[in-house]
Amino acid sequence: MDALVAQLQMQYRNYTVSLYQQGFLDDQFTELKKLQDDASPDFVAEVLSLFFEDCVKLIGNMARALDQTGTVDFSQVGASVHQLKGSSSSVGAKRVKGLCITFKEYCEANNYEGCVRCLQQVDIEFKALQTKLQDMFNLEKQIIQAGGKVPQVDIN
Amino acid sequence: MLAGKAPGLQHPNSNSILRGLIITLAYDDVNRTVTKRLLEKIGCEVTAVSSGFECLSALSNVEMPYRVVILDLQMPEMDGFEVAMKIRKFYGYHWPLIIALTASTEDHVRERCLQMGVNGMIQKPVLLHVMDSELRRALQSASE
Repeated sequence: MDALVAQLQMQYRNYTVSLYQQGFLDDQFTELKKLQDDASPDFVAEVLSLFFEDCVKLIGNMARALDQTGTVDFSQVGASVHQLKGSSSSVGAKRVKGLCITFKEYCEANNYEGCVRCLQQVDIEFKALQTKLQDMFNLEKQIIQAGGKVPQVDIN
Repeated sequence: MLAGKAPGLQHPNSNSILRGLIITLAYDDVNRTVTKRLLEKIGCEVTAVSSGFECLSALSNVEMPYRVVILDLQMPEMDGFEVAMKIRKFYGYHWPLIIALTASTEDHVRERCLQMGVNGMIQKPVLLHVMDSELRRALQSASE
């Protein structure tokens, strides 16, 4: 049992570190983990769930705004991008946040093609993050089910 | 009002300064949830609201003596500065304390905050230890 736990814990550590190294997550995600404790044991998963719901909603808004026949209201697109930038920043979704910064510049420049490209990329990125985090949460569950504790992962 | 000792931070004797009610106002679910949890983690009792109206309504409840309002300045469809102004207009310049959360580093934002009677500013994304020290600082100077 202990060998299994140790192996899972190592897997978990390596996986988590890789997410930071590959730029999926930044320090703000570490801050989120500090807020999880016995009083709020699923906090991180809950917040990320809210975030992904936000992504779906905001990306939908952006798509609709960009899909207008006639003139596109870039400020409307920009408003949704701004919101997504804010929430991605709060949860440590580094790549999504970075894309939003670029996206915002395209909105301000009224650059239609740039916006459409960013929209596609943002959609891909949030889904990629969702999958990665699901794998991470699954590892946590496995550790707990094997009788172990989820280790604190020191990124630095 | 606190449920046991504040977990996470080692400030054995100074948690009493953080006891008290706080309203946090942010537009979106993610920021509201994170800020609320952060404040609870450092020992505060928090009411999270999502509009200026809710904020002012909560403040008007005499049975809940709110000491601080944490106000997100960058909210769509709502002017954070306007909310701050209204709070000062109805409740005066001493209480509640207002701490603004902003993504901006620009000077004019800081100046406007001072004009509106905002007592503190924190850069987003908010770090746990920064919220803790800024709250303590603001509460400390208010009680002097």
